[in-house]
Amino acid sequence: MYKIYKNRAYSAKRWLDKTKTFGEMVIIMKTTNSAGLRDKNSRIPVNFEQIGGKSMKKKLLSSLLCVAMMAATLTGCGGSGDSTPASDGTAAPAEEAPAEEAPAEEEAPAEDAAAEEAPAASDGTLVYWSMWDAAEPQAQAIKQSIEAFTAETGIAVDVQFKGRTGIREGLQPALDAGTNIDLFDEDIDRVNSTWGSYLLDLEELAKANDYESTANAGLMAACREVGGGTLKSIPYQPNVFAYFYNVAIFEEAGVTAVPTTWDEFLDTCQKIKDAGYTPITNDNAYISSMFGYHMSRLIGEPATEEVVKNGDWDNEAVLKTAQAYEELASKGYFSETIESNQWPAGQNTELAMGTAAMYLNGSWLPNEVKDIAGEDFQWGCFSYPAVEGGVDGTEASNYGAQVFAINAKSTMPEEAFQLITYLTKGEADALLSEMSVGIPADSANAEWPALLSNVKPVMDSLSTRYPWGAGAEANADMTPIIIENFTKLCGGSLDAQGFVDALKAAGN
Amino acid sequence: MKKNKTMIVVFLTPAVLMFCIIFLYPIVRTILMSFFKIEGVTDAVSKWEFSGLANYTKLFSTELFRISMWNIFRIWLFGGIIVMGLAILFAAILTSGIRFKNVFRAIIYMPNVVSAVALATMWLQYVFSPKFGLFKTIGELLHWEWLAKFQWLDPSHLFTALLVAYCFGMVGYHMLIFASGIERIGTEYYEAATLDGASRIQQFRYITLPLLKGVTKTNITMWSISSAGFFLWSQLFSMVVSNTQTITPVVYMYQNIFGAGNSMTERNAGIGAAVGVLLSVCVVLIFIVCDKIFKDDDIEF
Repeated sequence: MYKIYKNRAYSAKRWLDKTKTFGEMVIIMKTTNSAGLRDKNSRIPVNFEQIGGKSMKKKLLSSLLCVAMMAATLTGCGGSGDSTPASDGTAAPAEEAPAEEAPAEEEAPAEDAAAEEAPAASDGTLVYWSMWDAAEPQAQAIKQSIEAFTAETGIAVDVQFKGRTGIREGLQPALDAGTNIDLFDEDIDRVNSTWGSYLLDLEELAKANDYESTANAGLMAACREVGGGTLKSIPYQPNVFAYFYNVAIFEEAGVTAVPTTWDEFLDTCQKIKDAGYTPITNDNAYISSMFGYHMSRLIGEPATEEVVKNGDWDNEAVLKTAQAYEELASKGYFSETIESNQWPAGQNTELAMGTAAMYLNGSWLPNEVKDIAGEDFQWGCFSYPAVEGGVDGTEASNYGAQVFAINAKSTMPEEAFQLITYLTKGEADALLSEMSVGIPADSANAEWPALLSNVKPVMDSLSTRYPWGAGAEANADMTPIIIENFTKLCGGSLDAQGFVDALKAAGN
Repeated sequence: MKKNKTMIVVFLTPAVLMFCIIFLYPIVRTILMSFFKIEGVTDAVSKWEFSGLANYTKLFSTELFRISMWNIFRIWLFGGIIVMGLAILFAAILTSGIRFKNVFRAIIYMPNVVSAVALATMWLQYVFSPKFGLFKTIGELLHWEWLAKFQWLDPSHLFTALLVAYCFGMVGYHMLIFASGIERIGTEYYEAATLDGASRIQQFRYITLPLLKGVTKTNITMWSISSAGFFLWSQLFSMVVSNTQTITPVVYMYQNIFGAGNSMTERNAGIGAAVGVLLSVCVVLIFIVCDKIFKDDDIEF
């Protein structure tokens, strides 16, 4: 099966070629059979005996045909299977591609039979597997920019919007099977750690193109760090994970400065509660980050990760973190429904609707809820406050980006890098930032979307990078258990000691 | 005879080859994989690290996997009782000659036509919502405090919520199978029973149920298979990261093969394969037990 898959041609036109051969084969077989029957002009069973016994040639022929037909059926199946996922991603861009190019492409391989076995890369089209869904603003911005890129450079790009799960499940098998993919994108950590061995080293290309003169230095450093000291990916759509808040509620409650320490944070919560609002809300999807951030403030992220991975729940920091959250819960600072908040209930019906003030989330949040929050919603942002006697301060946070990477087996690395440069700089970067309410990657694009203007100072102040959830989700076997018990802690149905005991009982 | 054998071989070869490639090879490969540590699911065999029974021992000692097995057992047992009970009840009512039969049948079957994603979102974000949910509104209208205040989605009740939503979607499907089974039973039995003075309930108990043995077996088998592969509803009821109340072995398998949530966690396709093997064993066991309980009925009708 693997072999058949490997030899599969991926585009619809190739599939058509296959079906043509398949059709011919069926016809050949039919004529042979009917001719054979007519020649002997006798009962069918007799004829079968002759095929099977007397005529060795016919026997051989029929078995060969059976096998050939089966093979053709198999290839036929594979072809249609492959063309289906492609059709939802590529159909749209293909239709809008310059009209002259499309028919020319279709005819070329059909004329030359040998071309069928050659790698699809040779036709000079860049293949880009994207992590976005075609309907997302990011995908629309990228699609628009790619059309401009093709018009400008003449390099055709086959962009396939696979979506997050599509990339996560499908990219590695496709790369292993030798699929022609020149570039792809995903989260900075996943690309560099999970798919690290498939990536082309980009140091030389970046140097040759003077890429870094207008790139975000912090993110480039982060890419090198996760790439094992060398540049294997190019960041874009940067994001930062911090407290996002409703400025109007802060003003109404009389909070003049964002909290930088835990005491100030408690004070802020109290003022907001007194003003009649819910200070903090969250959803099941992000709630573990509060646990991770607090513990990382206390003992640093690497130590937090160790605790989570090794199940060292006796560590003092676990109980201290739990006690801090028990206090928040007992003072009524959390949403009443925090235990029932299934994403996106909290961010949509509480934060965006203006009943809750703060939410620890990523900078993608304003974009996600912009239709609910309305145009006049003013976003504020502050880094998770420092705690007394802690290792890390507000300079540490989870920040990162989506990154582009080039397949080490790509036959067109220069063109791929050219496309990456085009998409992450200048107008294309500004367009993406504007359409997706995201942070621009090009440091020359100094103007951030208005909704994110308060995020810039936070992003600029960060120097220590936490991975996702500040280590709280480092152990997949524990994540749901931590979330369950931490949610109960925030809802007040579990106290600090109960939280620690529950984690210890789960072991791991 | 010898000549016929050749023909048998020729005609069977494609089918046998197809079977071997499409069914046998993946099964054998999965069983093999479950004894290795494999990072990427498509890694070449040379990258596999033999680990003996380590994957299985790890699974049995992992609390989360035990939770997931317990969840799936609860879905199979409680969900099965609810769904089969309601399905056979509705099927009996629908086939009893009530008016607007087709309308009711369409209504009960409707959830199967709607996409599971839409259904789950409706339940999760609307029906169960603690702020403006359907159950909350009904509870307030009827002055049932307990219903209005019931937190369907908190960590203690999320499983109940999932079960209610899932069963709602599954009843129609199994009802159709039961209904077609009941319709196969000739009306003369019921007529004779009515003449003998049997009530509707007696007719159901002594005619319908015994003659539905085969159909029931089919339904239970299909229910077991769909429970074993319980994935989509679990994912939809705990978006982004999994949850102790909704995690199932297939979700656990997915996490081990493709990574969990947003963080970069250790991957091991070998553990995923071991989960698959264990699930298959469970389904085969259920199938054998079903076969024993519902022996092929000797009743002909």
